[in-house]
Amino acid sequence: MSDDTVPVAEAALRPGAWGFRLAMAGAGAGVVVLAASVAAVLVRGVGVWGNNIPHVWGFDLIAYAWWIGIANAASLFAAVLVLRRHGLRTAVNRFAEAAALAAILAAAAYPILHLGRPWLFLWTLPYPAYTGLWPQFGSPLVWDFWGIMSHVVVTSLFWFIGLIPDLASMRDRAARHGRVRAARAYGLFALGWRGSVAHWHRHQAAYRLVAALVLPLLLWAQTVVALEFATTLVPAWHQARLPLHVVVTGLPSGLGVVLALAAVLRQALSLERYVDERDMDLLARLLASAGLAAGMAYAHELLVGFLEEDYTTRDALTARVFGGGAPAYWGAVLLSAALPQLLWLRAFRTRTLIVVPIGVLAAAGVWLDRWSIVVDGLLRDHMPAVGPGYAPSVAEWGLLGGSVALFALVLLLFGRLVPAVSMFETRHEESESEAEREER
Amino acid sequence: MTQHPAFGLMAEFDDPEPMTAAVRAAREAGWRRLEAYSPFPVPEAAEALGVSAAPIGFIALGAGAVGAALAAGTAWYVSVHVYPVNVGGRPLNAWPAFMPTTYLVAILWACAAALLGMLALNGLPRLHHPAFFARGFHRVSEDRFCLFLSAEDPLYDTDGTVQFLRGLSPLRVSEVRGA
Repeated sequence: MSDDTVPVAEAALRPGAWGFRLAMAGAGAGVVVLAASVAAVLVRGVGVWGNNIPHVWGFDLIAYAWWIGIANAASLFAAVLVLRRHGLRTAVNRFAEAAALAAILAAAAYPILHLGRPWLFLWTLPYPAYTGLWPQFGSPLVWDFWGIMSHVVVTSLFWFIGLIPDLASMRDRAARHGRVRAARAYGLFALGWRGSVAHWHRHQAAYRLVAALVLPLLLWAQTVVALEFATTLVPAWHQARLPLHVVVTGLPSGLGVVLALAAVLRQALSLERYVDERDMDLLARLLASAGLAAGMAYAHELLVGFLEEDYTTRDALTARVFGGGAPAYWGAVLLSAALPQLLWLRAFRTRTLIVVPIGVLAAAGVWLDRWSIVVDGLLRDHMPAVGPGYAPSVAEWGLLGGSVALFALVLLLFGRLVPAVSMFETRHEESESEAEREER
Repeated sequence: MTQHPAFGLMAEFDDPEPMTAAVRAAREAGWRRLEAYSPFPVPEAAEALGVSAAPIGFIALGAGAVGAALAAGTAWYVSVHVYPVNVGGRPLNAWPAFMPTTYLVAILWACAAALLGMLALNGLPRLHHPAFFARGFHRVSEDRFCLFLSAEDPLYDTDGTVQFLRGLSPLRVSEVRGA
């Protein structure tokens, strides 16, 4: 069993191929666009965006809720795998955690940027300031600040702690190849991990405990975003079912992204042995189930919405579903709920060329649902006349595209610098199955 | 050049089971200053070493309680005393509305304390350790299982300990000396 995890480590240590460099260049260019779009907001103010009354929340909140959904579903998936001690976790929980981390980094920028004067974001922290101002703890905006901050800190700690033993493996391997500088860099981040049995014992206990604690945090993070909408008086948003809707319809985005990533990474890094057909099959079925759950949420929305006695609410829903909002609404239903149902067919589940587009399109479908809520939710209000419509500006498109590039860049660096599959768990699993074989 | 005194003796095994058996034998022989190394978690060996992970749970629980108390206390103090705002005549101490942040901060503190407390209990970060001087120690992060008996233990005497370790049928027994 000595060479079990060599390809995983080698994938991280070998020099980049042209495909990787091309992808890095593309993602790097996208990050430059992101920097320019952020600079535009910082220098000129939020006036460069298409937001206006009544559309105070446009692309920024759509993208925020969307990225949070991706981060949520991805880390929910990773945490459940850790807790269930599922065979699949060896293969994909490292990707899933990395995807969650990259998505949360992309998400975290939006609420800060949309403050108008982002450099004053620290005013949301409770500290005695010369202004005498304090945050209002009854406000969902303050809850959101704590929600996203906890999410960022806990997700990154969870990811890093899980990575420490593998960083130590990378350190030793780089040292054996005589790459002293790489060995020192990995060694520094491995914190001097020496594989002590006592350390492993505490490491695993802490890891599993945090996995359990992450679950309620994740559900809450997404719920808080939805509560910001639900506490307003806008008819389409002022609903008790909104938090549940946002959490459930968010699932296909994270699972779709993890599925697409798993399919791409296993080919790009030649990890077919570690992420095998069975893993891909399970993941695809999971996405199909998430699509089914999202479909139920949409059905519930229509059922409850049209049974509603209140005329204003029904009118707002009608405008969203059959009026001007129809393309986004039905687009979301089609892409995030209906399309993943194709994955119940075995022939489709195992084909990379089918699985990757379905995963990405499911994520795009969730984005359309967020558009449908944030923008089309304002098609009807309590007022007889509603202000002008919303159209995103170039700066907003730049911000959206740029954050996708940032997500890609973080994941590319992840695939290049650290083992994409948990090496110690693979070793453990293979030694266990070896022992089982011997017993037979 | 003077030679460093030995840090102890390292016995290498190629499977978790013989290492676990060796840990048990050493504990039964009365060894107290010993450490075992493996490329993946071996709970049986940890049990044989008498390591308990329970303190991590208590650290998380304590930190979570402190975090919750701080968050709820801050919300109450700010909303009732330093910056009261009358929202439609509702009570200033609107505690149900303070619960979301309390809950989030409690989880944040519990998670951070569990992970950082685990590192502290393990004595990490520590980039320098005698074990790293052992011959072929880098293979522990791949496929070797080791038992280290420290020279600081009162039972330690070089020849006798070598004999003891050889009796546990390891791949190799070597003395660990500083470079």
